[in-house]
Amino acid sequence: MTEKFIEELDRLQADTFEMGQLAVGMLADSVKALKTQDIDLAQSVLEKKTDLAEMDLEIEKRALQLLTLYQPMATDMRKLATILKTITYLARIGRYGKDIANITIELGDQSHISKLVSIPLMSKMVGSMIEDSLEAFEEGDITKLADLGERDDEVDAMRYTILRECITYMMEDPKNISRCANYIMIARYLERCADHSCKIAEKVTYMVTGEHVEIR
Amino acid sequence: MTKENGPMAEGPASNGYLKVGNGKYALDLRKVNVHYGSTHAIKDVSMRIRENAATAFIGPSGCGKSTLLRCLNRMNDEIVGCKTTGTIMFKGTNILSNKVDPVALRHTVGMVFQKPNPFPTSIYKNITFGPKVHGIRGKDELDEIVERTLKDSALWEEVKDRLDDPAMSLSGGQQQRLCIARALAVEPDIILMDEPCSALDPIATSKIEDLITELKERYTVVIVTHNMQQAARVSDFTGFMFLGRLVEFGRTTPLFEKPRKTLTEKYITGRFG
Ligand SMILES: Nc1ncnc2c1ncn2[C@@H]1O[C@H](COP(=O)(O)OP(=O)(O)O)[C@@H](O)[C@H]1O
Ligand SMILES: [Mg+2]
Repeated sequence: MTEKFIEELDRLQADTFEMGQLAVGMLADSVKALKTQDIDLAQSVLEKKTDLAEMDLEIEKRALQLLTLYQPMATDMRKLATILKTITYLARIGRYGKDIANITIELGDQSHISKLVSIPLMSKMVGSMIEDSLEAFEEGDITKLADLGERDDEVDAMRYTILRECITYMMEDPKNISRCANYIMIARYLERCADHSCKIAEKVTYMVTGEHVEIR
Repeated sequence: MTKENGPMAEGPASNGYLKVGNGKYALDLRKVNVHYGSTHAIKDVSMRIRENAATAFIGPSGCGKSTLLRCLNRMNDEIVGCKTTGTIMFKGTNILSNKVDPVALRHTVGMVFQKPNPFPTSIYKNITFGPKVHGIRGKDELDEIVERTLKDSALWEEVKDRLDDPAMSLSGGQQQRLCIARALAVEPDIILMDEPCSALDPIATSKIEDLITELKERYTVVIVTHNMQQAARVSDFTGFMFLGRLVEFGRTTPLFEKPRKTLTEKYITGRFG
């Protein structure tokens, strides 16, 4: 395999990591915008959607080109397979950020029902799961991923807590229903993002060890 | 059950890999060593080759692939100064023993070479040569052999109307398939191929690859190739050789997906030396 291939593969890995930072950033900013009711910040998340889609397509094209030009084997093949799957999960994570930003804009400046503690907390947990998966991908070291399944369970539990909390508000006052429905949706999006981080972690594990594992 | 981790181990048959061949072994090599004068070309190679499956040898030029292949039908006997030790069991007999007639062995273990080497005669006679040596004379029987082997080598449709044409009038790829038909005509158990596609264009190459996939249903195929993708496509088992040693041997898919040895990894990812 030529130097050129190795260089190009390294660059692709770095760009995938960067795409991950963009997606994680969109998700974190969308929740921050929700919490602080910052419409400008929500708007900036929407604007990043195009960048994300472009990176997704561009990385896919380059990965497919490397596959056809060099027909890589072993670790190189596993890395490319991981990149191709990971960018799809990252694009979805970023799009959930966009969806949350849209809800934020829709909610406008009406004050939150409670202090809105749970959703930012959940978002933090999810964000760190995605970041750890991305770091494992970048460093080729999966030690950080050992407890990812448990963390995913915590996120699931968190989603149910939010659901129950919202049901209580909705029963207290029907005016809360539409707003709470949005909170429930956001919790669901965040929970899906955690699932995607597990999917990324499974692929990274395959990249590093060659084993196909199921995390959750 | 003892678990072998050396190059003898075939590696896991797990996660959905189809059962390969009939589970039996055609050849069992034990501590095979080959010297060309002072050159130690094959070092302590032990391995078992599955019956009715395709096994490929890969490795850098000069690592001993061809030499090892030639051990399997005693072709190295023809090379002055070449000395082979160890045992290669085939149907209960050590074929390296001097009691074995190498000429008879080569009918059971046929060989196809890198450059197509048809005899300078007709297509028909190329194929009937071997059977005639075996005393088959009847025209009907010879016709039947010609048709069967040309069909088996996927050449029949292309040459059935010109069997008396000179073999040399065929294209390179057709000549190679004729050589395969010729090897099949004496009803071998094993077919050895030493880089059978290296002189062929991509279309002829893919025909030979398809053919190998079909042949292994009924024959044991052992192929040497410098093309790793080809090994990955056609073989069920792959052996990686380096400096005369069999470094790693196992099922093809895991070997190319996640080799057990760093040396194999380095070679197949092109990070060698
Ligand atoms: N006829 C021969 N006489 C002397 N040395 C040979 C002969 N054939 C091969 N060798 C030596 O044996 C080693 C293995 O060669 P070979 O089996 O042809 O390797 P490969 O097929 O992997 O390229 C090399 O060092 C080569 O120089
Ligand atoms: Mg050779």
